[in-house]
Amino acid sequence: MDSSIGAGISPTQLRWRKVAYGGMQNGFDDNYTDESFLEDMVTNANVVKRNMLNLMLDSVSISQYLSIIAMVGLVWTYTLTSTLDENSLLLLDISLLGFGFLVLLLTEEMLSFNLLFRYVLNISFFMTGLYVLAPIYYTLTRSISSDSIWAVTIGLLLLHLFLHDYSRSTIKVAGAVHNPSLTSCISLNASVVASVFVASRLPSRLQVFGLMLFSLQVFLFAPLVTYSIKRYSFCLHIWFSLGLMTLTLAFVYTLHCLLFLLLLGLLVFTSLVCPYWLIRIQAYKFEINGPWDEAKLCFDITD
Amino acid sequence: MSTAQLRSNGKVVDRTPFPGKWDNPMGERKKGHRILMVSDFFYPNFGGVENHIYYLSQCLLKLGHKVVVLTHAYGTRTGVRYMTGGLKVYYVPWKPFLMQNTLPTFYGTLPIIRTILIREKISLVHGHQAFSTLCHEALMHARTMGYKVVFTDHSLYGFADVGSIHMNKVLQFTLADVSQAICVSHTSKENTVLRSGLPPEKVFVIPNAVDTAMFKPAPQRPSGNEIIIVVISRLVYRKGADLLVEVIPEVCRLNPNVRFVVGGDGPKRVRLEEMREKHSLQDRVQMLGAVPHARVRSVLISGHIFLNSSLTEAFCIAILEAASCGLLTVSTRVGGVPEVLPDDMILLAKPDPSDMVQAIKKAISILPKIDPQIMHNRMKELYSWHDVARRTEIVYDRALQCPNQSLVGRLSRYLSCGAWAGKLFCLVMIIDFVLWRLLQLWQPAENIEEVPEFTVSHHQN
Repeated sequence: MDSSIGAGISPTQLRWRKVAYGGMQNGFDDNYTDESFLEDMVTNANVVKRNMLNLMLDSVSISQYLSIIAMVGLVWTYTLTSTLDENSLLLLDISLLGFGFLVLLLTEEMLSFNLLFRYVLNISFFMTGLYVLAPIYYTLTRSISSDSIWAVTIGLLLLHLFLHDYSRSTIKVAGAVHNPSLTSCISLNASVVASVFVASRLPSRLQVFGLMLFSLQVFLFAPLVTYSIKRYSFCLHIWFSLGLMTLTLAFVYTLHCLLFLLLLGLLVFTSLVCPYWLIRIQAYKFEINGPWDEAKLCFDITD
Repeated sequence: MSTAQLRSNGKVVDRTPFPGKWDNPMGERKKGHRILMVSDFFYPNFGGVENHIYYLSQCLLKLGHKVVVLTHAYGTRTGVRYMTGGLKVYYVPWKPFLMQNTLPTFYGTLPIIRTILIREKISLVHGHQAFSTLCHEALMHARTMGYKVVFTDHSLYGFADVGSIHMNKVLQFTLADVSQAICVSHTSKENTVLRSGLPPEKVFVIPNAVDTAMFKPAPQRPSGNEIIIVVISRLVYRKGADLLVEVIPEVCRLNPNVRFVVGGDGPKRVRLEEMREKHSLQDRVQMLGAVPHARVRSVLISGHIFLNSSLTEAFCIAILEAASCGLLTVSTRVGGVPEVLPDDMILLAKPDPSDMVQAIKKAISILPKIDPQIMHNRMKELYSWHDVARRTEIVYDRALQCPNQSLVGRLSRYLSCGAWAGKLFCLVMIIDFVLWRLLQLWQPAENIEEVPEFTVSHHQN
């Protein structure tokens, strides 16, 4: 068969071709490696060059959320040690709610009266439900020791922080395209369970209600509020975050010196060390693309 | 040198298996190789790899070699079977657990593979397909026992996702110590070299072929002014079923005399049927469901144009079958597809709907110039399994010329596979070696009965 093919090819055509048909190519073994070998390979086509400043600015979102969680921890501790009584807790809830709505009102341009009314209605339903359920939470973990509860709560909070979606808001904003991912749902659930556990250690029902409301407000709506701020103005977002971080650090300092150092270390780690690290390991990036890759469809599949 | 001699040696020597002195009835060759083909994929399962192994084995048998196939049990089909031409198939009683793959146990298959290797006096082991766990295990054991091994890679793999990163590590492990490797296209070779770090000169390109006698064009072309476009593929994402959903209505809209025949089944079939309903194309798009391989020809010859919409493809035998039946092919330009046919027998398009519609339009316009019989005759010259077998034979010869290596030399090669993986690979190999030595004590090679030779009369022409 080779000969029949060879006869058809003129001597000038004795160049190696990247084809599979026609049997073994004249004068070339099957393991012949041409100069054109791997010439279609593209390396690091999609790699983004990152710079330190942008990375640091982006990491502010993470530091900000870390300080929000630290704040929640502080409020929990103060309530459990009865530094914060029921009334001030409820006051805190209401002022947070007011602040949240104010921010949404000021930043969302498309917030109509109708939408606002719906928000208020939903929140009042939510609060009623919570108030009714408060007695159940109150006795939920009576038979379990405080140590276990604290251990589980801290574990859940770490899980929450680990899986939290820092890039966008956890709950679905009106008109948002993306549904929350599985990990962010797990993260949200972990935080809710943690707040139920902490609330169940409190001495009075009203306190349970107050604390639950506070925790849920933060875990559910803080990402939405901070996201709105960030979308409205990045500068404001940076200043707001820096203010929040300073405030948290100050509060934590009054609570315990070691915790302060720990939080400070964590914040420095996320906003300075991690960006630097990422830039360093960027050098090891080696992405290979070529004709062997599965083709990407240029349209969306609507199932 | 026999196995008994080896054992009495007592030292750790890699055994060079003894190539059988099996004289070819034609007397062309002094010695035939005794080859063991290993893969999880073999008949009654159906696909490109299965086909390749079967036809290659048949042609090697005709060339005077001895070929034995090793695969796992399919349903109740276990034990030894003989196929056409005295092709012996071992269906190892080892159940598949996922996508026709056996559960990877690393060492579970060592005893039976060793027994088969000794019983059949195998001189060379040839593994097929990177997905096949049985193939990886068999090659590992064969290397431990000092056999020369050849590996054929039938698929392409990316480098980006987690699945392929792990798969590539496994492939690196198998290929670290393989004597020679074969790929089905040049693109596949580039891919394999990148994935495994093999030196390119150890990787051969030997394409698949097509049994042109089975895929003959219809004596009479389907008449009328209707143009029928045939699609035969599994209806899954990787085969581009979603592209079909976009392309078919557009082509039907532009060309009122075009009809589609879609053969194949799969999760995306529902989408195609939805498309058919949505655009009311029930009378113009015929869905056949799964087409058994024996009926593929009859479906192909009912059409004029073959459409392949794969998103990734190392070679694509379907295109060869279509071309052999005299159909003009329109295909996506992915993987090894551009190498498969000369430019005047295939129209290539980017894997996006508008480009494919353009290509189909062009195909329809040049269709009157295509003579199926001429196309078929050209295919006969371009592809033949005998040619594939002859070229594979060269690879076997090369593999057997490779120098033997000591265990330490091989371990150093594994060690270079990666910081952690390298050490792990070494450990796996050392354990395999120890198990093999224990097995030799427990079940000495001379106690294993060797199969008597028997020759079937070949239909040599």
